[in-house]
Amino acid sequence: MAGMCYGVNMGETETSAPVEPSSRSARRRRMEIHQFNFVPTDSSVAPPPLEGGGGGRRKRQRILPAVVPVLSPMECMNGVQNCQVVQQKENQVAGELPPATKALDLSASPSCSANENGGNPDCPKFGMTSVCGRRRDMEDSVAIHPSFCRPDSNSTAGLHFFGVYDGHGCSHVASRCRDRMHEIVKHEFENGGSPSWERTMSESFSKMDKEVGEYCNGGAAVFISGCRCELQTPQCDAVGSTAVVAVVTPEKIVVSNCGDSRAVLCRNGVAIPLSVDHKPDRPDELNRIQEAGGRVIFWDGPRVLGVLAMSRAIGDNYLKPYVIPEPEVTITERTAEDECIILASDGLWDVVSNETACGVARMCLQSRKPPSPPRSPGNDITVTEAGESSDKACSDASILLTKLALARHSTDNVSVVVVDLRRI
Amino acid sequence: MSDLPSSISYMTQATRNGNQERESFHKFFECWIVEQDHHLHELVSASKDIEDRHQHHGGATAELNGRVLRPLLERVVQHYEHYYRAKSRWAKNDVLSMFNPSWRSSLEDAFLWIGGWRPSMAFHLLYSKSGLQLEARAIDDLILGLTNGDLSDLSTGQLGRVDALQKVTLREEKEITEKLAKLQETVADSSMVELSHAVSELIQEEAGDRVAEQEGRVEAALAPKEEGLVGVLEKADELRMKTLKGVIDILSPTQGVHFLIAAAELHLRVHDWGKKRDARHHQADSGGGVNGSNGHHRQ
Repeated sequence: MAGMCYGVNMGETETSAPVEPSSRSARRRRMEIHQFNFVPTDSSVAPPPLEGGGGGRRKRQRILPAVVPVLSPMECMNGVQNCQVVQQKENQVAGELPPATKALDLSASPSCSANENGGNPDCPKFGMTSVCGRRRDMEDSVAIHPSFCRPDSNSTAGLHFFGVYDGHGCSHVASRCRDRMHEIVKHEFENGGSPSWERTMSESFSKMDKEVGEYCNGGAAVFISGCRCELQTPQCDAVGSTAVVAVVTPEKIVVSNCGDSRAVLCRNGVAIPLSVDHKPDRPDELNRIQEAGGRVIFWDGPRVLGVLAMSRAIGDNYLKPYVIPEPEVTITERTAEDECIILASDGLWDVVSNETACGVARMCLQSRKPPSPPRSPGNDITVTEAGESSDKACSDASILLTKLALARHSTDNVSVVVVDLRRI
Repeated sequence: MSDLPSSISYMTQATRNGNQERESFHKFFECWIVEQDHHLHELVSASKDIEDRHQHHGGATAELNGRVLRPLLERVVQHYEHYYRAKSRWAKNDVLSMFNPSWRSSLEDAFLWIGGWRPSMAFHLLYSKSGLQLEARAIDDLILGLTNGDLSDLSTGQLGRVDALQKVTLREEKEITEKLAKLQETVADSSMVELSHAVSELIQEEAGDRVAEQEGRVEAALAPKEEGLVGVLEKADELRMKTLKGVIDILSPTQGVHFLIAAAELHLRVHDWGKKRDARHHQADSGGGVNGSNGHHRQ
């Protein structure tokens, strides 16, 4: 842990500064709905994790001082659609999600059945968009697994898993994370005996990284072939992925991050980053790399050994020990003021600031009425057929953010997950 | 548009006369591009109608879609198909000119992929136009889900289908590129190396008559390469047309109009700009009197 203080004093990293083309400023100002000043904090003043009273099976780690929320069950109006999303993921076509959902055969979904979810009162609503955008390769993957595991056998409240993986070099490490990370986390959570979420997640990321490494060294047949690098070993070693994973429990949000994808919480209109990008020029990361004997070289931006533009990742064997799979974990108590979390790859964050993203997402959630009443019988727009995707408002938010990223000339794959945290 | 487009009459006439040389496709292209300009005007005026209706009736009506927009889209798409049909006919007789098109400016030439526009460019065109239209709108309208029917209104379903089509297109584009690479590499296959060596020796021996004897062998060696080019070009043009139609199919009629406007504007303007640049360079070269032409200038 780099010991950053999460909360209102969160330091916004350089990369999250909005990249705004200068023209059209008036319009842009409208887009910038909220402006907040974030005061960077020195990592040394971060409060130590507090050991919480062991009411549950696990020790609780409190980093954010928070009002203990009054728990009221959230509606789960979209259990079936959620399952479709999960299955879609397992069909490996994140970006093709929306049109295909209708036709999917739910029975084929091994990890999530309609029954399992339909009865879950704590199932969050979410929306997801993942597109290739202006890149020639799709290397992003998204995994969404509502109720992927339970805190204990007596509990009915499930834990929900959301992950965004942005691959580099090839797509296979990101796809592997998409397919396996939630299983590893579940296994680690249920059997690992780790005393804390930090340990659980750290172990999970490490196992994920080992799995990826093993597959490269001979177990390649397990991969579905057809990825660009064809798993030839030298290239295979130079493949990796970011991972930002949010586990949402009834009480908290556990975000684990490796790389430059990001999770941002929207709380009462304020954008609170729940992860800090691992950029090689982040002072603590730069130190760590140099202490390990590595170097950060500026070559089209700061890069580890002049190669990789992030300082932590799953995979990338050839850059170990400078590039590590150790996640930074933040644990945030949920409050009644929480509106949503946004998980996204840098295809979004490179061109849309945390504040803008939260502003857009929250306003989409607030205007939750069916947004476009049919105007005229001949309206030829197919935008608004309600109920088609997982959750209308969340989907609207994720697609609008994606379109905003594309409009602002994002040159990367764009993946956006919006999870509604409001308790209804 | 009841009158027969001139490119069609030109094509029939040219084929009838067996006039298949490079010059004839050049003329066909010039006719076609004039027609594309007409279509652009029609599309723009249709988009203005839509905007009018939108202000007064809240969107394009089914009636407008059926009576005006769909037939217009169909006509414009057919015009593209017509282009590729003609191109394919000419290519069978002179495939090399299709890879070195005299009807294009050097600027266009530099950005061509296998004798035409790169299919994956369609998605950049769509995202760029959609982005510009998105930015022209008030964020509040977008959040409220108000629609105005243009490309900023790409729905979740549409974006998903566009993305899927883009992935397929990219894959096929890479496959065709790979095919061309393999074909290009056969230029140095053993038969070609052997033949070029044999002919070079004869030239050194100043055995002119025996060099002429080798002409048959040269033709035989080059023919399959040219055939290969015809095949690759056909696949490339098929993918271009498939991508264009695929995008139009995903879009609503109103969005289709906007997309085709952007496509025509880009094509026509890049062509103009390229020709102007060529003319300027040509002038500079001949005016300066230094070294005339380097062989790359177009008329």
